[in-house]
Amino acid sequence: MITESISTVTGIQSLQYLYPLIVLGIAGFVILGLGLVTSSKRAYAGIAFGSLVLAAILLLVIPQNTYNVLSDSFTFNQFGLYFAILFLISSLFITLPSLKNISAKGDIFYALLLFVTTGMVVAAFTMNLIVLFISFEAVSIGTYVLAAFHKTRRTLEASTKYFFTGVVSTSFIIFGLAFFYQAMGTFQLGPAMAVASKPALLIALLFLTIGFGFKVAIFPMHQWAIDTYYGSENSVSAFLSTGSKLVAFMIMIKVFIIGFASMGEDVFLLFTLLAVFTMTYGNISALSTTNVKKLFAYSSIAQAGYLILVFSITSYAMWSGQNYSFIAINAVAAAMLYSLVYIFMKGGAFVFLNTVDKESPEFSDISGLARKSPALAMGLSILLLALAGIPFTGGFTGKFYMFLYLVDVKLWWLAIIAILNSAISVFYYFRVIMYMYWKPESQVLMTRSRAASATVLISAVVVVVIFFFFPLFPLLHGYATSLFGVTG
Amino acid sequence: MIIEYIFAVLVAASMITFFTGGRSRQFARLTSLAIAAAVIIYSAYRFYPGYDGGYISTFSLTLSSYTGFYFSLGINGFTDLLVVLGSIIVLAALFISDRSDDPVYYGLILLTEVGIFGLLMSTDLFFFYVFWEVVLIPVYFLIGLYGGPRKDSVSLKFLVYTHIGSVFILLSIFTLYSYYYSEFGILTMQNADLLSTPFFATIPYFYKVFILTGFLIGFLVKLPTFPLHSWLPDSYEEAPYPVTVILAGALSVMGGFGLFGILYPLYSQIPSFFLWLLIALGILSLIYFSFTAMFQSNIKRMMAYASAASMGFVSIAFGSGILGTGNNGIIDLAGGMFQIFAHGLIVAFLFSLLYYIKTHTGHDTFYGLGGIYRESPVMATLFLGGLLASLGLPGLAGFVAEFSIIAGSYGILGPLIYLVIFSMIITASYHIWAAQKALYGPYNENLGQVRDLSRSESAAMIFMLISILVIGLFPRIVFPLLTGYLGGIA
Repeated sequence: MITESISTVTGIQSLQYLYPLIVLGIAGFVILGLGLVTSSKRAYAGIAFGSLVLAAILLLVIPQNTYNVLSDSFTFNQFGLYFAILFLISSLFITLPSLKNISAKGDIFYALLLFVTTGMVVAAFTMNLIVLFISFEAVSIGTYVLAAFHKTRRTLEASTKYFFTGVVSTSFIIFGLAFFYQAMGTFQLGPAMAVASKPALLIALLFLTIGFGFKVAIFPMHQWAIDTYYGSENSVSAFLSTGSKLVAFMIMIKVFIIGFASMGEDVFLLFTLLAVFTMTYGNISALSTTNVKKLFAYSSIAQAGYLILVFSITSYAMWSGQNYSFIAINAVAAAMLYSLVYIFMKGGAFVFLNTVDKESPEFSDISGLARKSPALAMGLSILLLALAGIPFTGGFTGKFYMFLYLVDVKLWWLAIIAILNSAISVFYYFRVIMYMYWKPESQVLMTRSRAASATVLISAVVVVVIFFFFPLFPLLHGYATSLFGVTG
Repeated sequence: MIIEYIFAVLVAASMITFFTGGRSRQFARLTSLAIAAAVIIYSAYRFYPGYDGGYISTFSLTLSSYTGFYFSLGINGFTDLLVVLGSIIVLAALFISDRSDDPVYYGLILLTEVGIFGLLMSTDLFFFYVFWEVVLIPVYFLIGLYGGPRKDSVSLKFLVYTHIGSVFILLSIFTLYSYYYSEFGILTMQNADLLSTPFFATIPYFYKVFILTGFLIGFLVKLPTFPLHSWLPDSYEEAPYPVTVILAGALSVMGGFGLFGILYPLYSQIPSFFLWLLIALGILSLIYFSFTAMFQSNIKRMMAYASAASMGFVSIAFGSGILGTGNNGIIDLAGGMFQIFAHGLIVAFLFSLLYYIKTHTGHDTFYGLGGIYRESPVMATLFLGGLLASLGLPGLAGFVAEFSIIAGSYGILGPLIYLVIFSMIITASYHIWAAQKALYGPYNENLGQVRDLSRSESAAMIFMLISILVIGLFPRIVFPLLTGYLGGIA
């Protein structure tokens, strides 16, 4: 449906949809230019922060009806809008906390951050696989460099691992897209797509799962993630495990729920297996670690397992011929809610590490934190409670809806596995709380990083507020509907 | 509405306690005293003029009509009784607390009370579950921050064990919620909808079993019942005494409430093998815990097992009461609920006294103690009173419950009743031995001088013993609430 021409693009009507992207891109170049004049990190961070906020405001004021521009390569809908704002939040999250640890070349760091964010927002607003791929690559390449920042042996190792696995995953995606095109005859995702060749689609499913699975850190493709999250600078780890992971997750929602809607059975079997292994692997590995950052890395993998349950729900609803539209929309809304909470709980947890004056602290290094800085200990405890899914935190709400629709679609055995996993995870999250509250104080000092502490506290507050904000789910339900309503 | 205001005051007070600094002890005590008094006066005023079932004093706040979430509270005869019990137990726990300047401690205890009140009063399964989970967090911190030498592992064990039990409840709630929507096209979390027999009858058999199993796992862990009990002795032993009082008195109430408050409304739909399973587990718990208690050298641990054993009566009463018919069934069920109440009072009394024995003598094991009657007769006599109540001496509260359960379930259990009687004999014997070894006999001279209870301490303890006696002598104070509740459902 190529009804728009170049003239509509240049028309003021369409251009307003692109303002956020333009702002982010220009601000990135401004920071690069500013790098020639001044080396003030604060200036770069200020511009980055300002442009991210401005982009978020611009996103909020654009009309919220579904709208296609640039020959359908961009599809603006509420689903994309929601995720675009999530991505902006995940970038905002690390802009200020990272100030402390970025010692040199701050201009490049912040410019890259903005370019990566631009890529993320593009990915949010497209239903075209080529554009999705390009934006995904923009995100990946930017994050390879971000992971190497603060050049030490550890970050270089982290970045190298990330880079090589990332490149491999890219080639898988390309292959998968080629097969997808062969099977479907189009790169445009939309409802009711006709399947020309089922075997080709099956190959595409496998290849795309592997390709995107790397970035989401799903079980057999997760090895890089632990080393990279562990090795990178804390705020970069926060970004990799929130923003970058959620981009891939959002793309997966688009590809596997819309694109592979006809393959209920195969998607179900594949993703159920992956989800079970991912959750269990992440949780079991986290049980034995005594390093806080490693713990967060493993828990990040376990959380990926909960996230991809959404594919089991939707595909099973399709396969077993249940009330598909009701369940799929609700499941996607649950995934959206989980993503929102996830940014704050995981991002906050990683950023917390910036307040400890030690590279990759052990449990014993943060012991007795409750006496040294009660507010920070309280903040981190709330985030850990949320990760464990304890009520009165948004983490509970997120898991609640996800597991609810798992039961709703009558996957009770998968719900038991998921919920037992979540119950086991309580053990290692509360072990950290135990160290903070009733172990003797450690000698390790806390840094006076106000940005990081504030970020932790704000995320703790947000995580609690999400629990009490009950109209959120109906709202997201409306947003999720727009994903299924696209006429591409 | 008054009970909701009391609840709101409690929530506010528990928050304020964290900021009261050195005066937190008086503040918490006064608050809990006021709450207990208010709850008792309220129930006397609302329930005694006549109660014939159903929720009274309901309150509902719409949170999200799309997902069917309402914050709704209400109270019926049974939950009112448990709310009274909870407030008395927390009051007792605070009375024996001596951390004069730790607002966190008192705040956490009041937060536990908030959780217990909340889960009892919620008439909506979502908030029932939320409060059910929330109780765990302050108790975890109480054990972890103030517990004994093994507190690290024990607090985690308590949390993970009981949390795993609770998540099964959540799965059952999901299943009910989902089936209600597919049956009626309405999303709701209300007890009145989800726990109604006509609706439950429409659920396929497999999912009925799934729902009941989930609920049972969660409730039996808390009760606790035989194979799901291993968190209990450790937690009771490591927790400081006031927390043990709450654990034994109020947390086991949660399991009992789950059976009688959540599952009972579906009684006609519960397959009989479930009920027999409950009876079997109840009898097993009775025998197993009684034998285990007999071989403990630590009195606190012994009392922990004794407490668990007497909760075995609750599951027996639930199973056999539903299987039973007519008056026998009602006596049985009412006896089970009475047992929850009586057990709460008795263990709170016993653990409070054991606390005084421990602080005055420095010991709570049999070898450390011996003949303390000579030095502190009031304390020893009162403890004897508690032990007698716990073994079910006629005239005290425990007897009424055990008698009605045995009388009511005789027709169902048949010869199995001998196992129950047998375990009661064991129970009686180790209680008497405990009294003999610790309180009477030759005095353990290593103890030196032992201070007896002070006047205020003995006044409080005598008051508790008297209330156990009064309820034992005049069970009519309690029974109308329970039969009213049962009548409202049948």
